[in-house]
Amino acid sequence: MINIGLGHYLTLAAIIFTIGIVGLFLNRKNIIVILMSIELILLAVNINLVSFSIFLNDISGQIFTLFILTVAAAEAAIGLAIIVVYYRNSSTINVEKIDSLKG
Amino acid sequence: MELALIFLPLLASITSGFFGKYLGDRNSEIVTSLFVSISALLSIILFYQVIVNGYENNVVVATWINSGTLDVNWSIKVDALSSVMLVVVTLVSALVHIYSIGYMSHDPHKPRFMAYLSLFTFSMLTLVTSDNFLQLFFGWEGVGLCSYFLIGFWFKKETANAAAIKAFVVNRVGDFGFALGIFLIFYLFGTVNYVEVFNQIPQIVEKKLLFLGMNVGAIDLVCILLFIGAMGKSAQIFLHTWLPDAMEGPTPVSALIHAATMVTAGVFLVVRCSPIFEYSPLTLNIITIVGMTTAFFAATVALVQTDIKKIIAYSTCSQLGYMFFAAGVGAYNVAMFHLFTHAFFKALLFLGSGSVIHSFKDEQDINQMGGVYKKLPYTYAFMIIGTLALTGFPFLSGFYSKDAIIEFAYLKGNTTGYYAAGIGILTAVLTSIYSWRLIFKTFHGDYNNKKTNINEMHESPLVMLLPLFVLAIGAIFAGFLFKDLFIGNSGGNSFWGDSIKFLNPLSMEHPPLWFLLTTPVLVLSSIPIAYYLFVKDKNIPHQIAQSNKPLHNFLINKWYFDELYNILFIKFSKKLGIFFWKAVDVQIIDKFGPDGVSSLIKRLSIKASKFQSGFIYQYAFMILLGFSALLTFLILN
Amino acid sequence: MLAHAIFFYTFSFIAIVSAIMVTVSKNTVHSVFFLILDFISISCLFIMIGAEFLGMIMLIVYVGAVAVLFLFVVMMLNVAQQKNQWFSAQESSKHIPIGLIVSVIIFFELLIVIGGWKYKPDLVSAMSLTIDQEITNTHSIGYVLYTDYIHIFQLSGMILLVAMIGAIVLTFRQRSGVKRQSYFSQISRERSDGVELIDVESNKGVKSDD
Repeated sequence: MINIGLGHYLTLAAIIFTIGIVGLFLNRKNIIVILMSIELILLAVNINLVSFSIFLNDISGQIFTLFILTVAAAEAAIGLAIIVVYYRNSSTINVEKIDSLKG
Repeated sequence: MELALIFLPLLASITSGFFGKYLGDRNSEIVTSLFVSISALLSIILFYQVIVNGYENNVVVATWINSGTLDVNWSIKVDALSSVMLVVVTLVSALVHIYSIGYMSHDPHKPRFMAYLSLFTFSMLTLVTSDNFLQLFFGWEGVGLCSYFLIGFWFKKETANAAAIKAFVVNRVGDFGFALGIFLIFYLFGTVNYVEVFNQIPQIVEKKLLFLGMNVGAIDLVCILLFIGAMGKSAQIFLHTWLPDAMEGPTPVSALIHAATMVTAGVFLVVRCSPIFEYSPLTLNIITIVGMTTAFFAATVALVQTDIKKIIAYSTCSQLGYMFFAAGVGAYNVAMFHLFTHAFFKALLFLGSGSVIHSFKDEQDINQMGGVYKKLPYTYAFMIIGTLALTGFPFLSGFYSKDAIIEFAYLKGNTTGYYAAGIGILTAVLTSIYSWRLIFKTFHGDYNNKKTNINEMHESPLVMLLPLFVLAIGAIFAGFLFKDLFIGNSGGNSFWGDSIKFLNPLSMEHPPLWFLLTTPVLVLSSIPIAYYLFVKDKNIPHQIAQSNKPLHNFLINKWYFDELYNILFIKFSKKLGIFFWKAVDVQIIDKFGPDGVSSLIKRLSIKASKFQSGFIYQYAFMILLGFSALLTFLILN
Repeated sequence: MLAHAIFFYTFSFIAIVSAIMVTVSKNTVHSVFFLILDFISISCLFIMIGAEFLGMIMLIVYVGAVAVLFLFVVMMLNVAQQKNQWFSAQESSKHIPIGLIVSVIIFFELLIVIGGWKYKPDLVSAMSLTIDQEITNTHSIGYVLYTDYIHIFQLSGMILLVAMIGAIVLTFRQRSGVKRQSYFSQISRERSDGVELIDVESNKGVKSDD
């Protein structure tokens, strides 16, 4: 317990990952929470990568984390832009009202 | 030439049936009548060649079945027997086509009618010119089918539909026996070709089979089964119930099918299979008895009928009985002769009655007619000629053929023969009485019709009278001209050649003179009797009917055959049919089959469509589920 | 090592709690704030473990840009005023048990992966984690980024460009009724468009065709 090893970090990442996934589909509020859950998932992955990189003495893990950061930012931007446009058209971002894909 | 003969009516039928809408009524009538008339001419030419040159041919058109030992061809076999039938069928059919142009002039569906008539002609020709049992059966079923179409031609009439179904179903009973006969022939001989079967018959004379637990002779069984088919088609007793109801169809149909051609298919079958029947004395006796009983039965019922067409229908039934009993005593050529002459005068009678019905504006009850012989002179004359021929007035055609039958029955010498001859004479008297009853009630006496004024009566148009004229010529002269050819003593067998087999040649003697004179005398004397009864003193028939009420009812209800069959078969079959329809077909088969599958698919798809709710979080959930399943699978592996 | 453990447990506790609060809290603005807290704690964790460049970058990019962007949008869309009900509809509450079970399954699977893994023999234990004084994290990243991974670097630049263009394209709309200058039509005006000589008759005046 005292000796923090690789496993602890990985466990932490797993927990955050699970929480992110839970937030993805258990929310009844609005879409922004979905985007935030996605950010949480990406964060968990980042933790994983960085801890592996540190513990295995390989820098490429951190490089990859850098790029994940980039992509996460880009994706958040686009996602928010889409939400803004959607809100313009339908005046709501309540998750339960968005069901026009209903088949 | 044979090909043209057989296929011209088919071509006419297809043209009129499928293209009648584009051709127009008048053109389809002309096309069909023309083609069938050409067939008639060709058949007369063929017949002439058969008589003069002994022409025989078997044209194989195509191979039908070639499987194992079964080898069946579509063929056109022309020999003496089939050439006679060809002449009868095509000539009467051509005349009926021409007659229908006039009779059906008020009908909106002329092309369909003509198409059915031509199709019927084609089927009958196929039946007659086959060289094997299978093509015969094809033609047999074809004429049954066309009979159904034509009887139910006015399909909006409920009774017509019922009559058509009755005809088809009763025929079916006969066809079942016939089919069993064909199967048995194949089982015994390994082939269904006439020539091969007939050659092998003498070898299995002694063979016995186990049938329904009984030991029967093989040939006897084959013949009985074939005869059952003939009974159905030719309306012999027990399977006759469809013939009077078939009068629901238009009169030309009755003339063609139920007088001259379809009903004679049974006789044709028996004569064609004479090589088989000759070896089965049991069946020949059965045929004689059945034929005789039918003749008598039909004549008695015809005495009290009031519908003009039904009288003539029962008359047909009766004459067919004569033909069968001629075949039964071994005089096949006489049966064919009677078939030949009967075609002429029966068609004449039917078409003449059609002319009467047409003039009376579709009235068919003879009690509503009378006293119009001056108004319809030609029709009257033709009907008189037909009746004289039918009753066997000396020197007309019926005289030669019918009396020949009675003579040969007498000459057979055994008890059945004498008995048959006696019934034959009695039936001839009854025939004469009811025929003259028809004439007198229709044309003489008081005018009884309530709907039409007598001054509106006018003769039928020329297009209807012309066929009557041709048929009248045939009715008068056919007997005299062809007597020697068909049943002549000198060269009797040389015409028929191999087409009919006589195991014991027919005797060439003549019966005693008193016997020869009995029938004509009785027939002639019945004319004034009938006149007295039905014109002069109308009360006597009424009194006879009143005093013998049970007998009268028995006859009017056609010996209660219909009621008997209703109790025995119809009620039960109908219940069974309804059960199979409602319980089995609808509840079980439809529920698990089409309806079941379709409702199952519907329910499944409604359930499946709930997956597409449109909510993103549900989609994400699905992704998650799939992902976790994959993960689990990979980990556990 | 004790300090290491204390810091680790503190930061991770904060991270987990704020992660839970992100999904659970009723007010969306609070959710964004908890997200920011989450990012900060994880960044601290990174710094502690020796990847300080990455920790700083995370702070700048994630907290400073992405989370603020979230906040902008949340404020703009009036989300806070909408009804935020926890499991409002009836039929949706059926999801919770199944969802929780599935997520627990995923969690345990992740743990199984960790537990059954064969680590490299030269795994550095946390005890020997030293901070190398000679090469900083930034330096070591810089060594590799522009040489071995240059293509990916450029590509990520492209991604950002596309994202920027995409965001503009998506939200761009023409407003009607806004007066604008069109330089092109201003400059390409000819004399014939601007000036017109008219002969004026006395006492008649000029009609302006405006």
